[in-house]
Amino acid sequence: MLKIENLHVSVNGKEILKGIDLDIGAGEVHAIMGPNGSGKSTLSNVIAGRDGYEVTQGSMIYNGRDVLTMSPEERAWEGIFLAFQYPVEIPGVNNVSLLKAGLNARRRHQGLDELDAIDFMRMVREKARLVELDDTFLGRSVNEGFSGGEKKRNEIFQMAVLEPKLAILDETDSGLDIDALRIVAEGVNKLRSPERSIVLVTHYQRLLNYIEPDVVHVLMDGKVMKSGDKSLALRLEEKGYDWVRREVAA
Amino acid sequence: MSGRLAAVREQARRAFEDTGLPTTRLEEWKYTDVKRAVAPFADTLLADTPVEPGAVDADWLHARLLPGEMSRLVFVDGQFAPTLSDLASLPAAVSATTFSALDDIELSLAEGPLVNGFTHLNLARFRDGAVLDITAGTDVPIYLVFVDSGTGAVSHLRNRIRLKQAVSVPVIEHYIGAGDTPGFTNIVTDIELDVDAVCTHYRLQQESPKQLHIGRVHVRQARGSRFDSHAMALGAALSRTDIHVEMQGEGAACTLNGLYLTGGRQHTDHHTRVDHLVPYCTSREYYRGVLDGRSRAVFNGKVVVHEQARKTDAQQSNANLLLSQHAEVDTKPELEIYNDDVKCAHGATIGQMDMEQLFYLRSRGLGEVEARNVLIFAFADDVLMRLPLDTVRRHLEKAALAKLPHGEEIGALV
Repeated sequence: MLKIENLHVSVNGKEILKGIDLDIGAGEVHAIMGPNGSGKSTLSNVIAGRDGYEVTQGSMIYNGRDVLTMSPEERAWEGIFLAFQYPVEIPGVNNVSLLKAGLNARRRHQGLDELDAIDFMRMVREKARLVELDDTFLGRSVNEGFSGGEKKRNEIFQMAVLEPKLAILDETDSGLDIDALRIVAEGVNKLRSPERSIVLVTHYQRLLNYIEPDVVHVLMDGKVMKSGDKSLALRLEEKGYDWVRREVAA
Repeated sequence: MSGRLAAVREQARRAFEDTGLPTTRLEEWKYTDVKRAVAPFADTLLADTPVEPGAVDADWLHARLLPGEMSRLVFVDGQFAPTLSDLASLPAAVSATTFSALDDIELSLAEGPLVNGFTHLNLARFRDGAVLDITAGTDVPIYLVFVDSGTGAVSHLRNRIRLKQAVSVPVIEHYIGAGDTPGFTNIVTDIELDVDAVCTHYRLQQESPKQLHIGRVHVRQARGSRFDSHAMALGAALSRTDIHVEMQGEGAACTLNGLYLTGGRQHTDHHTRVDHLVPYCTSREYYRGVLDGRSRAVFNGKVVVHEQARKTDAQQSNANLLLSQHAEVDTKPELEIYNDDVKCAHGATIGQMDMEQLFYLRSRGLGEVEARNVLIFAFADDVLMRLPLDTVRRHLEKAALAKLPHGEEIGALV
């Protein structure tokens, strides 16, 4: 699905990612863990195509295509989705209309007809229930006046509607209380499928109690220091990131 | 014309010759230089002989008018055009006539804030305009249409609107033009609201691209009355709109909303002034602007809270979105407060496209152009959403979309 090789990325001339290698297969859930400043969000943003990141070396191939030459919207059309760490409020732009426009743009790109309005609304209501968002959220402006937890639930709701092939969840667990975390995690679990890969970017092991990853990577100082199965996350929780650093040094 | 009116007009002519046209040396005209815009009319500015108005095709006009049931008075090149007007649905309680139909009417030389050479010139030379006396409320809007036929006319127009006690009426002033010969619209609207009267006043300036537009709205409010203004500036090469509200009776309220959308080398200037003269009055002001190309906008909103005006509640805000690095905004919200027992706030912002929002929309699958347009439109629509009349709102939303590249594609999003 996504193959990243020796990826080097700089921001304002400062190298943040220093040679990342990742291979994410279809249907797999990968967790990327790491301390603050390790480059986790940079990696998420580079995959989604945000401006301001300079790729100086390496490659990123998604379903056989070079992602790095694609615009953010092309990546969306090809099925890449980023759940934002800080979802943006966009006053005056309707939440559901945005999704409809996004979906229809993708369908045009795929040579398909636009969606029927009634079918679309039925689907949207069903997906909103997945993350326990009530219908009043559908009519509101994108994230405007949403609480922190509502914003994160809205991201997962958008993911459910847009049905991506590769979803990157950038610290979707941060700022959530335990109930909201459970709702978000259950929503994500329902969206797991053999055709959909999910990348969970997180500080804490806590989220992984709810969403079980196939692979855990530890990102430190701009590199993947260690990879393993879900037990790696538990050991990290117990021993801290310094343990990885010491072990790699040894 | 009565001797009295002729004398006032002669007085105004002399006042104009004394004052001349405003120059950038005046604080209120610091950023708006009318010299070049007025130059084509140097010989006709003070002309006192009637000029035949240009021809206006009825189909052309109807394609540009607001739809829906309204009482309509149309003026072409400054003169009433009865064949294009429609007063069939005018309620009996509204007396609508035109200045040209009246022999005498009490007018006096304008004084006070925002009065300038154009104001005097208007009084000296206006030929026509609407005279509305409203003695009972109506929901049917009174629709005043001012057409420039594209023949380079100078149109000095004057409206007088009086609302009796407790009546409520929507009034629309709509400015449209044909062709791209520079013409000049110089219009003064006087509005008087009696006790508890409510006037919703729409001002839609969609003049043709080379027009010079100078407008003044002067409002006097009695106790408990309410004046809501929606001033929209989309057209003209240079436009200036002054709105001056005097709150003379306790408990009066006014809302001044506005939107300007400019591109190319357009210049638009909005000056507003609200005088809180008595206690317990409320004023709200909300203007937004979107500027592209090398266009320039000026906003000056002044609220003066006089010594007697305790318990005044005044808020002002002006926000601008710059789409081009060559566009320029000069914005100045001003508060002058001479009483301590008041609640006043003001603020102004000038910003560019929010890159975070743009990326968010694109990451959801909107193309770059579409995403930009959505954000521009949403910014402007924040003012349009406040328009109570659906027909006006839809008309302006369409006009705003038409100003955006591929604007029609985002119609579904809003």
